[in-house]
Amino acid sequence: MSRRLTVILLVLLVLVGAMSLKTAVAAHDGGSFTMAVGGAPQPPPLPDVGGAPQPPPIMDYSAGASVVNR
Amino acid sequence: MLSPYQYAVWLVCTILEIGVVVCAVKKNAFRRYVFLNIAMIASAAISIARYQILHHYGFTSKEYHYFYYYSDFLLVITLYLALTSLYSHVFAELKAEQYVRLGTVLLLCGTALFSYAVVQQSSSRLLTRFVVELSQNLYFVGLVLTYVLWGAVLKLRETRTRLIQLILSTGVYFSLFAANFALQNLYYGRTFFEYLTPLFGCFLPLSWMYAFWRIPEETRIAPARLAVVPR
Repeated sequence: MSRRLTVILLVLLVLVGAMSLKTAVAAHDGGSFTMAVGGAPQPPPLPDVGGAPQPPPIMDYSAGASVVNR
Repeated sequence: MLSPYQYAVWLVCTILEIGVVVCAVKKNAFRRYVFLNIAMIASAAISIARYQILHHYGFTSKEYHYFYYYSDFLLVITLYLALTSLYSHVFAELKAEQYVRLGTVLLLCGTALFSYAVVQQSSSRLLTRFVVELSQNLYFVGLVLTYVLWGAVLKLRETRTRLIQLILSTGVYFSLFAANFALQNLYYGRTFFEYLTPLFGCFLPLSWMYAFWRIPEETRIAPARLAVVPR
């Protein structure tokens, strides 16, 4: 039983570590880059569904001029 | 439109992947490292299929886009299984096979749940976003798993040179991709990375091919060369 709990603890630690690492590495991520196996060239990103132009990011005027990700 | 350089790197990478399987078969290591070989066979087969789709529909087509990401998901799963099979090799003497399997399934389910939580609010292409997110997360899980495995190799004083070579090259491969991922996000729009990234894809088959071809299964490394443990 304790061995299984150890496995669960290790799994959670690895998961937390990996996701923290990804968050740290992709802090400035624009979502454009991905990692992939093999030497095939990565295709350009598909546009979102519909032809409407993407709106600019929402500005939080109450807290200065910083961009808010919602 | 792809450049001759991109085609050349793609071709070299595919040849190296086939080379890994050929070397493993020649050195009687196919069955022992069957998941590594399955990963390489899948990667080579998907490379050929990707080329067919690229040739038929074009580089910017939806068909190539979707096939690229969905097939990459399959490849990441095979690579993940290959990595967990290395765990089975390292922990074989501890009779921890069932715990490795349990950990493998739990970690995959946990990563899938986390990925779904990230993309669940997407209104369009939920499945595609989930597949891409899960693939990316599995790369980072693979990176951490490889370092944990390296820690276990040091602790258990593992001496099988070929196994150590396979683990280390997998760790370097994941680390290269993670570093490249971080740098690409920092230096957005640099064409330099378009040339560098595909080269990293060649590293893993090249190093695995070297391990199968040049390092016999019986070769052992002195534990003292792995780590100096104070007594």
